Amino acid sequence: MTIEKAYLLISIFLFLSGLLGVIIRKNLITLLVSTELMLNGVNLALASIDSILGGVEGQVLALFVLTVAASEVAVGLGLVVALFRLKGYEGSSEITHLRG
Amino acid sequence: MEWLIFGFLSFWAVLSVMGVLFFRNPVHAILSFLSLILAVAGMFMHLGAELLAGLQLVIYAVAIVVFYVLVITTIPWEKVKRFEGFYKREFFAGFPILIFTFLLISYAILKGEFASLNVATGDNVRDVGKSLFTTYLFPFEVASVILLTAMIGAILLGRKEE
Repeated sequence: MTIEKAYLLISIFLFLSGLLGVIIRKNLITLLVSTELMLNGVNLALASIDSILGGVEGQVLALFVLTVAASEVAVGLGLVVALFRLKGYEGSSEITHLRG
Repeated sequence: MEWLIFGFLSFWAVLSVMGVLFFRNPVHAILSFLSLILAVAGMFMHLGAELLAGLQLVIYAVAIVVFYVLVITTIPWEKVKRFEGFYKREFFAGFPILIFTFLLISYAILKGEFASLNVATGDNVRDVGKSLFTTYLFPFEVASVILLTAMIGAILLGRKEE
C-alpha cells in the first residue's frame, strides 16, 4: 500500500461523506456545503492519480472542477436566497412543489 | 515521515468532515468546511500539486466560504432555527449502504494495479500551465463562458421582483 493509494481511500471517504450529508442534512445551505465536500473528494482523487501516473492531466481537470464549483455555488446560493425570499423555505423537506 | 504527514492530514480531514456533517449550527458547519479545505490543500501540497493547492486556498478558502457566510447573514436567524441538524431515520438507512460502498471501492483500490506513465516532471506549475494553454486551450475558453453564464444566472435569481 503506497501513500497514493491511501490518499485515494481518503478521497473516497470525502466523496461518500458528502453524499451522506446531501441525504441527511435539513438546512439547504449545509446541503450545498456537502456538495462542495463531494467536489473536494473528486479533486483529491484526480491529484493522487496524477501522482501515481506522473502526468499533469488530472490537475488540469481539477482546475475545471474548481470552475464548476465556483459557478455552482453562485447559482445554488442565488436559488436558496430566491426561495427564501419568495416562499420562506429554508429546509430541504419543504420544497415539494415544482411550481406554485 | 511521509506516513506521519499523511496521518496528521487525514486525521484533521476526518475530524473536519465530522464537523461538516453533524454540527447543528450552519455557521459552525461552514467553519469546519474551511478547516477541511486547509487540510485538503496540505494533501495537494504533499502529492506534488502545488498550483492546485494555491488555487484551492484562493478559490475555496477565500471566495466560496466568504460567499456562504455572506448569504447566511442575509437570512433571518430565527427562521433557520427550525431546520438545524439532520434527519435521523435517513441517517440510519443510508449509513450502512455507504459503509458497504466504501469497503467495496477500497477493496478495488487496494487489490488493483495502476499503470505508470513515468513522465519526467520538473516544475509542477510550469507543466500544468503548458498543458492548460496548449492541449486544453478550448476547454479553458469554454470555462470562461460557464463562469459568465453562472454570473448572469446569479444576478437574475438574486434581483428583487418589481
